Amino acid sequence: MTIRKTHQQIKEEILFQLKESPLSIEQIRKKVESNWSTINDYLGELKKEGKVKEIISTDKAKIYQRTLGDTYFDIPITDEERKKFRTLFSLIIQEYKLRGMIPTKTHFAKCAVHIIKNDSSKLSDLPTVWYLYGLIPQMIADPSQDYQEEINFEHKIKIKNLIKEFIDQNGNKGSGQIQREQHKIYGEELYILSDEFFKVLNKKEWKNEEVLEILNKFFIACPVDNEFPEIFNLTEKVLSLIRKLSLLDIELQDYRREILLIFDNLWKFIALYKLYESRTTGKNALNKENLFKFYIGNVLEFRKKTLQESILELNSIYLNKLSKFDPSKINLSEEVQEIRRIMEDWTGED
Amino acid sequence: MVKDNFLDTNIIFNYSNYIQNVSKDIIKKCYLFIKNKEGKFILCGAVLEELSSIIVKRAKIHKAVIKKIENEKFSFNSLVSDRDIPFAKKLYEKLKNQEIKKTSNELAMERDLSEITIQKFLKTQIDESVISIEQIDNDIVNKIHEIILNHADCKILASALQFQEKKDIFLFVTVDGQDFNPNVYEYLKEHFGLNGPKVKFPELLNLLFSK
Repeated sequence: MTIRKTHQQIKEEILFQLKESPLSIEQIRKKVESNWSTINDYLGELKKEGKVKEIISTDKAKIYQRTLGDTYFDIPITDEERKKFRTLFSLIIQEYKLRGMIPTKTHFAKCAVHIIKNDSSKLSDLPTVWYLYGLIPQMIADPSQDYQEEINFEHKIKIKNLIKEFIDQNGNKGSGQIQREQHKIYGEELYILSDEFFKVLNKKEWKNEEVLEILNKFFIACPVDNEFPEIFNLTEKVLSLIRKLSLLDIELQDYRREILLIFDNLWKFIALYKLYESRTTGKNALNKENLFKFYIGNVLEFRKKTLQESILELNSIYLNKLSKFDPSKINLSEEVQEIRRIMEDWTGED
Repeated sequence: MVKDNFLDTNIIFNYSNYIQNVSKDIIKKCYLFIKNKEGKFILCGAVLEELSSIIVKRAKIHKAVIKKIENEKFSFNSLVSDRDIPFAKKLYEKLKNQEIKKTSNELAMERDLSEITIQKFLKTQIDESVISIEQIDNDIVNKIHEIILNHADCKILASALQFQEKKDIFLFVTVDGQDFNPNVYEYLKEHFGLNGPKVKFPELLNLLFSK
């Protein structure tokens, strides 16, 4: 005798199947063993309830993704990882509360990373990612949430000691300071340079040279990835625009707003790439194609367009200045002439 | 009558790299050709695209050189094509004993000056911008590709042929000694004349082979 599944059971099964990765209606139908129109109807209900979202919709197929909203870009983690994260977050909150403190989002996330990255916690299987403000747990650490201990950590005492150690060392520091220090601890050059860049640009006054020196280092640190050529290409475009403005005898600080905007957009673009890179390399790496196609591809494209718009804005300032500028005025040093002489026969052709 | 000039990428790129009393003859020729302008300068989208690509490639060579100076074990292959490695090596040999900060500055200065010269030229000297990338006729590109391997060159010549169709004969100006040397160009004309209607070709002005 066939036992008919209840509506609720089918919906739960759909959600269960969507846990690992997004699926088309046809794929869900096969896994849940139901017909296309039933699945389509339930997906409609789940969509209204905010539990799934349609991420690709064409004439031929619709692809749905589960929306838990507790990880960055809804990138999936396993149930086991989710429980471990929640338990770790609960222990951190408990320790802060014991001291009469509430952690900021940054303190919370950086404390969690401190524990995960310490071998003695035995939690190194929990995924962490490099993103806008440095290394963070892939599950969003939200201090306003009521986390519970969902599993018993084998090394709970050690973990609690590590939390205490982190709060002792960092409890009184500002979020920005903790971030900057973390970038240095992990030696992430690009993040260190980004910190330095924003620090200089937020000073009351600064000289062109201060910015140019950081940008030259940023050029060296910028990743070159043949799968994402735009990371390097757009970075160099931004850096060269700023350098060229300086060559046209312009005080860069007169264009602080435009430069801050363009660099901020560049950073958002690069940081998302860094997140992608973190999750597709090393332990428990995710499938590159899926991660791009279902989770970050659209956002990356949006950020690229935003960056290109701010490049256009600064470029129009540059072109305006260029029209009144005579390039032959610039003196080429002997060294630069020598570089040019070496490259004379280079045509750039493929 | 003075003819108009449909410019190949190399003319503009060489012009941007000119140094008075230092540059070799062919670069000087490109510079003087532009300085002593006669007739209109025509630019197509494929040349703009190739210029952008060359600018990125040069930046990668410079980056590879700095990376190598930072760490001798760095392999040029990871950033630079086989064809470009000899240039990266020469730069590296020249600059390896300098401090990185100075080298980074000089390489950036070299790139920036060349780009400023190109952009100033594009802004002030181009009389007509024609045939965007989307407008290029792929059938013509493919037909040229039967003779010429370099895809960028095929797109540039295809653009020139498309634009030539409705115009008085203009000059196709280049310093490409391989794909656009006079023999290859004649062969291309014959190739296009074999089947179908006659195709109007611009007059070749290859500065490598001219006085």
